[in-house]
Amino acid sequence: MTGPADLARIGLRWDPSGQAGLTGPLLALANDCDRAFQTIASRWRSREEAYPATLPASSLHGHLRSFPHQVTFATTLDPADANLGEFTDGPVVDRTGAVALTRTAPVTAVLTPAACHHVYHAHQGEQLPTAVHVTTRNTCFRRESSYEPLRRQWTFAMREIVCLGTAEETTSFLAQARAAIDYFTLLIDLPTDWTPATDPFFRPERHPGHLLQRIQPVKHEAIYGGSLALGSANLHHDHFGSAYSITRAGTPATTACIAFGLERWLYALVDRHGPDPDSWPDLLAAARQVATR
Amino acid sequence: MRSEAEIREQLRTFVRHHAGGVDITDDTELFTLRVLRSVHLPELIILLERLRGAPIDVEQLRIGDFDGIDAMMARFGAVQP
Repeated sequence: MTGPADLARIGLRWDPSGQAGLTGPLLALANDCDRAFQTIASRWRSREEAYPATLPASSLHGHLRSFPHQVTFATTLDPADANLGEFTDGPVVDRTGAVALTRTAPVTAVLTPAACHHVYHAHQGEQLPTAVHVTTRNTCFRRESSYEPLRRQWTFAMREIVCLGTAEETTSFLAQARAAIDYFTLLIDLPTDWTPATDPFFRPERHPGHLLQRIQPVKHEAIYGGSLALGSANLHHDHFGSAYSITRAGTPATTACIAFGLERWLYALVDRHGPDPDSWPDLLAAARQVATR
Repeated sequence: MRSEAEIREQLRTFVRHHAGGVDITDDTELFTLRVLRSVHLPELIILLERLRGAPIDVEQLRIGDFDGIDAMMARFGAVQP
């Protein structure tokens, strides 16, 4: 069992708002972990793509309707001089810590809810001659009712490997990716079990996305310790291909992704192998074995 | 009260209406093959609830429950007394 004191000793700087700073050995482990996932992504010759912190709200209609309780918006002040003056003349931040906002500009941007959304947005309108594999990392933002260091956070790092292709290509990718993660967790002695899962939809009882996840094996999570999802394997069918006019073989592309929550891997690795960095497995060596298998 | 044969026929009518000309049988894997899509699920559940005369607890749904008319009948087709 990993306690807050153990984590603080090896570099966790926890903010109760649900955000983690990393220093020292824990930061080094996080960097190794991400490099390991990049190495695994090289198995599919995935190209690295880097994206900004926000997405246009106009590209996330479906997401905003499905997960309004988790969304964080990027808000700015109306730039009119009088409005800015009213802001600076006021308390700026009140005694509760809340910003004393004056008039805000129209909100048009959403802080990244999942790293892969950028990939579909960026590839909008493309006709893919072959399957495309992309890996990307972003800081993701999800509001929750409570937070726990490294296990459940408002902001966290997500590394993803995304496949855009035909139904057969994406199905094959997911099978290979799940097998790759199984091999990786075996090599680093981090036991996980794949289990069907659903996303936390708002009012799920009649939400088509939630219902589909209950009756179709479109989302599986790699669970550590009985409850902590370290990653997920997701089949979107042609949802994003249709929404972003991405085609493959003359029809809307099918997409799939493997997503890793980096902080959760840190928690699991320390929980499994202890807080002494000398006892931690060589993640990169294991990932190289996975990539070349 | 509807018979199981009547429920089955109503389900066939619903699927044909949304299938876009795709040939289907009672064991066609409707959601796996994308004959039906997620947007059809709420309406399909409401139809089944009406036909069987009993609610469906969506939290009790299992993978495969809707993948074919045969599968739906096996899981939800029993007529309520």
